[in-house]
Amino acid sequence: MKKALYLSVAMALVTGSAHAENLRMSWWGGDARHAQTQEALEVCGEKLGHTIQPEFTGWSGHQERITTQIAGRTEADIMQINWPWLPLFSRDGTGFVDLQDYDHIIDLSQWSDEALAGGMVNGHLNGLPTSDTGRVFMFNKTTFEEAGLEVPRTWADVLAAAPVFKEKLGDNYYPLEAATLNALLIVSLVVTQATGKDLIDPETTRVAWTEEELADGIQFYLDLVEAGAIRSWRDVAGEGNVELFETRSWAEGRLAGSYEWDSTYAKYADPLDDGQVLVPVPLLQIDGAQTEGLYRKPSMLFAISRNSQHPEAAAEVINCLFNDPEAIDILRDSRGIPANRAAFERLEAEGALDETIVAAHQIIEDGEGPVVHPLNEHPRVRAVFEDNLEMVAYGQLTPEEAAQEIISGIDSAIRSFR
Amino acid sequence: MGQGRFLGLAYLSPYIIGLLVFTAIPFIASLYLSFTDYDLINAPIWSGLDNYREMMNDRTFRRSLNVTLIYVFLTVPLKLAFALFIAVILNYRLKAIGFFRTAYYVPSILGGSIAIAVLWRYIFADQGLVNIVLTSIGFSAVNWFGDPANALFTITLLRCWQFGSAMVIFLAALQSIDKSLYEAASIDGAGKWHSFWHITVPLITPVIFFNLIMQMVQAFQEFNGPYVITGGGPLRSTYLLPLYIYDEAFRSFNMGYASAIAWVLFIIIMVLTVAAFWSSKKWVYYAGDKRS
Repeated sequence: MKKALYLSVAMALVTGSAHAENLRMSWWGGDARHAQTQEALEVCGEKLGHTIQPEFTGWSGHQERITTQIAGRTEADIMQINWPWLPLFSRDGTGFVDLQDYDHIIDLSQWSDEALAGGMVNGHLNGLPTSDTGRVFMFNKTTFEEAGLEVPRTWADVLAAAPVFKEKLGDNYYPLEAATLNALLIVSLVVTQATGKDLIDPETTRVAWTEEELADGIQFYLDLVEAGAIRSWRDVAGEGNVELFETRSWAEGRLAGSYEWDSTYAKYADPLDDGQVLVPVPLLQIDGAQTEGLYRKPSMLFAISRNSQHPEAAAEVINCLFNDPEAIDILRDSRGIPANRAAFERLEAEGALDETIVAAHQIIEDGEGPVVHPLNEHPRVRAVFEDNLEMVAYGQLTPEEAAQEIISGIDSAIRSFR
Repeated sequence: MGQGRFLGLAYLSPYIIGLLVFTAIPFIASLYLSFTDYDLINAPIWSGLDNYREMMNDRTFRRSLNVTLIYVFLTVPLKLAFALFIAVILNYRLKAIGFFRTAYYVPSILGGSIAIAVLWRYIFADQGLVNIVLTSIGFSAVNWFGDPANALFTITLLRCWQFGSAMVIFLAALQSIDKSLYEAASIDGAGKWHSFWHITVPLITPVIFFNLIMQMVQAFQEFNGPYVITGGGPLRSTYLLPLYIYDEAFRSFNMGYASAIAWVLFIIIMVLTVAAFWSSKKWVYYAGDKRS
């Protein structure tokens, strides 16, 4: 670190830069991303003559940390922002620096118009997506093979696998895991497939589904539990507040599938015991689906604080992280398959991208579904949905009652913060 | 004299500055914010009593308040009784008593940490140590975290396990009791149980009272255990008010409402503390106090 500092100072003197700045950058992620980002920041810092202090955490609690920092105006100059946070931190688009004002520094031509649109709020470019991501199913091929089955391609396959798992592998084997947030996302997926609509109607900013449609989706989830295809909410809660990929049941392949972001493939594949293979598969569909129902969004946007004293220097660093060949080689797919064309083409030509991650991402590229509204991930919307779904799972509400509560609760929550 | 006063203030200044910056100013600011609509990003907007009115119709608040009260009324007596029980045992002149006193105090040093909460999560998980022991001796495994009836109990146990600080205070009080009182009682034919109830307990009531207040206040502020172990679930059965305050403030961007809940919690603690002080006149014995 000391060396980097000296080099940065030396570079600034040699190049005669009049703007060697001290910056901070914050992000969330796992160990690999932390190491790669720090290394890339050192390289960019040396090239640009800036020093960049890294601030990184895991995903859990990162939003709360950023919220506190923004409230206290102590946030980092450069921040990795989750796409659904944009309307929270920047309702009218002025919550972050408009990166279009720095298009003479950042080569924005490397993003598609669609990708740039994902970072726009009210005509202001608040963030640049590092990639786009979506939910895909990932199954433990090894476990399915032990049961004499192919990896599922349809919901019928999942349902059919449940009794075979119990018979051939044991009662504690399940073809899929889905509780809490993932139960909510499975319900959302099947209702989206059935209706062709996202949860939030973009025209009215109200729930787009009817109570009957949502109740059918909730019943679908209950049927999966009843069939033994997924563990009950109660059994999952019995493990405590722990991530799926941290559990022995996942590592040993007893829980043989999940519905996750394509960019998190490595996080779920790495903890598996030796010899276990995790494969991403296209979205499972219900009969008569009107859409594939792909849940896709821009991923991990780099934004500049509106309180930054050095927005130009921050823009230089962002441009370096995205477009500099050396930084691209260091960062590789640490934030998923890059949305930046220069980075993608370079890594693809070098064969530096993990084939399975590319395959997972291809599912997202090939998939289709209605545009996902950022309010889907608003904490209060999520809380209303998840709380009522949990009550159904514990037998305290019927699917019909829960559907009514969810729709009125979400509409009410949206009204309150608009 | 003037210089001495300045020096005294200089010595005190780190504490005074800390008190102002980290306690007094946030305390007053939170009272103001509780009457505002404040999303942390934009300036607070005065909303009068709206937050307090909203609380009246908030099911989550009522649920969380109920859970918090159950937790406090379960935890405090259990923890105090256990701490006193262990303190009485450790008051005997046993071999290696110093080791045992240290060993029993250790959980208190570790108890509030995230690491211990994580350990607790593994111990009571479905395939955790407790269930392994239970099944090995012929009992059925228990779903400690998944069953709403059990989840709060496991969080309660974690707090009771951190009995060390209360135990040390009890131990000090027990050691300060004049031994001649026990000898006199023994000569009069009193048994150990009788001596405990009629000599020990009355003489340590000031310490029981002190521990009661301290433990009650701390229990109302419990956060780490349920946050790490259960995340407040299932069915919000471990969703204590501090978790709700945290979620509203930092996840839902509703700092005004969170401040209002914090003030309601503060008032509840104050009322119970005042009630405890009022009742202490009837059951706390201070040697030499003319009231007694």
